Amino acid sequence: MILSPEVLTIEIIDSIFLGLGTIAFILALKISLKWDINSTTQTQYKLEKQSFLTATIIKYIFAIKIPLFIFFIFTLDKISNLLTGAMCATGVIDATSYGIYLLILKLLNLYLFGFWLTLHYLDIKSPTLPYTKIKFEFFTIIYWFLVAEIVLEIMMFINIDIDKMVSCCGTLFSTSATSSIGDILRIKTSILLTLFYGTYILLILFYRLRIKYIFAIANIIFIIVSLISLISFFGTYIYELPTHHCPFCFLQKDYYYIGYLIYIFLFVGTFYGIRSGVLEKLKENSTKSYYISMLFDTLYLALVSAYPIFYYLKNGVWL
Amino acid sequence: MEFWLNNPIITLKDITKIYEINKNNIVTALKDINLTIQKGEFVILKGVSGSGKSTILSLIAGLSKPTTGEVIVDNQRVSKLPDNFASDYRQSTIGFIFQKYNLIPNLSVEDNILLPLVPTNPNEEDAKNKLNSVLKHFDILDKQHTVVKNLSGGEQQRVAIARALINNPKIIIADEPTANLDEKLSIDFINIIKTLKKENKTIIVATHDPLFYNLDAVDRIIEIKSGKII
Repeated sequence: MILSPEVLTIEIIDSIFLGLGTIAFILALKISLKWDINSTTQTQYKLEKQSFLTATIIKYIFAIKIPLFIFFIFTLDKISNLLTGAMCATGVIDATSYGIYLLILKLLNLYLFGFWLTLHYLDIKSPTLPYTKIKFEFFTIIYWFLVAEIVLEIMMFINIDIDKMVSCCGTLFSTSATSSIGDILRIKTSILLTLFYGTYILLILFYRLRIKYIFAIANIIFIIVSLISLISFFGTYIYELPTHHCPFCFLQKDYYYIGYLIYIFLFVGTFYGIRSGVLEKLKENSTKSYYISMLFDTLYLALVSAYPIFYYLKNGVWL
Repeated sequence: MEFWLNNPIITLKDITKIYEINKNNIVTALKDINLTIQKGEFVILKGVSGSGKSTILSLIAGLSKPTTGEVIVDNQRVSKLPDNFASDYRQSTIGFIFQKYNLIPNLSVEDNILLPLVPTNPNEEDAKNKLNSVLKHFDILDKQHTVVKNLSGGEQQRVAIARALINNPKIIIADEPTANLDEKLSIDFINIIKTLKKENKTIIVATHDPLFYNLDAVDRIIEIKSGKII
């Protein structure tokens, strides 16, 4: 196990999350089972007070989770120096079988907590608290994802063996890789770019036509297509190396931490896109969500597209 | 008196309020209270200290919630309002006059009175008009810029009333308003309340000051003893 100050910080915060999250889970379960806003009994008044406490705990967890996720990536990058063969966070993630699942779960949990927060703000907007029951029922599900994330995180850090050589991103993200990443990288660029820009055009179309459910679904597709095209195509222009496909190296100082901006644009844009579908389902106003999604999706597209365009203008060739 | 009959503005239904200080120290402040107050009514809540008068006022003002039961004010289920909505309700419906005035001692009379308007973000002209109106009404126009801590008890009381009324609330609640005043100032206060009664405000005063008990303006005296209406 690596016991760097960063890892210890993450583990301590994890244990706080687990403790507070469990309190919130127990209270959320109680509220889900007994909530009746029209009741004037002692139990209901007590639940109303507890619902504010529970919501505050969940908001606290979410508020910490966002910077903690960035700190987690930063930590992976930093401890990669300790592992033989690792050049960036990729090596650390690949050092154990838990890494990739942990990363996916962390991202999923950010989206889930974001949706919980959406429900919460809709709820407290009305004096009749219409979504209290549903938001706490939803939390009783999210809680298990949170527990799974914490367990995976502990398992990952425990199982990292600093004496064991790991693969670097250059090996893992290459066309010769035998994993599914190799298959992804072998997809023809023309097909990939058609898919990427095609999905974006569909987003604009659904945005203009106000077809909110499909807009939300298109955003889910956009995350997948964007990540694949980033690894396979756009990343190479950020590095200005045709063989380098790592999705983590551009988070480093050498690339002016541009990766953080790229991922923020992508995740914020797609989150609000999916959120607009959720709001539509709840018959709530989703105009703002719609607008933010389109804005960030566009910023993402403009940013990643700028790299090959400027490369071509500078060098007169494509990679 | 009939004009306000069957026009309830405040309803307390089966109210119980228990303060649980710790496991061994539980105080039942109110028990099975049912009370209706009509629009424009002037009601006195009478009772000794600790009888539950102030608890009733705080429930009506949405400052606390009952343990069981329901408080309905001006067709709003006040006891079910979340905190942020309770603040809006207080701001628009209730004018509260506290026993110890609860003014901010280092602010001027003007600033204290204008404080309830801050969340509504009014335009300057409107705020000025409202301020001048209450300052004249309570005869404190010449004290407008005086720091509150330099005022006498009676003047502070008038500032507190002016602050309670600047939003033109439908209901005025006063908790032991004359407890810190001498007899002359208490009579002054009663005269102000009488004027408000003429303006068709609903007034609830919790007091054990006998000066209130024989007033013509008072419509009803409700006696509270050990958390119950008797």
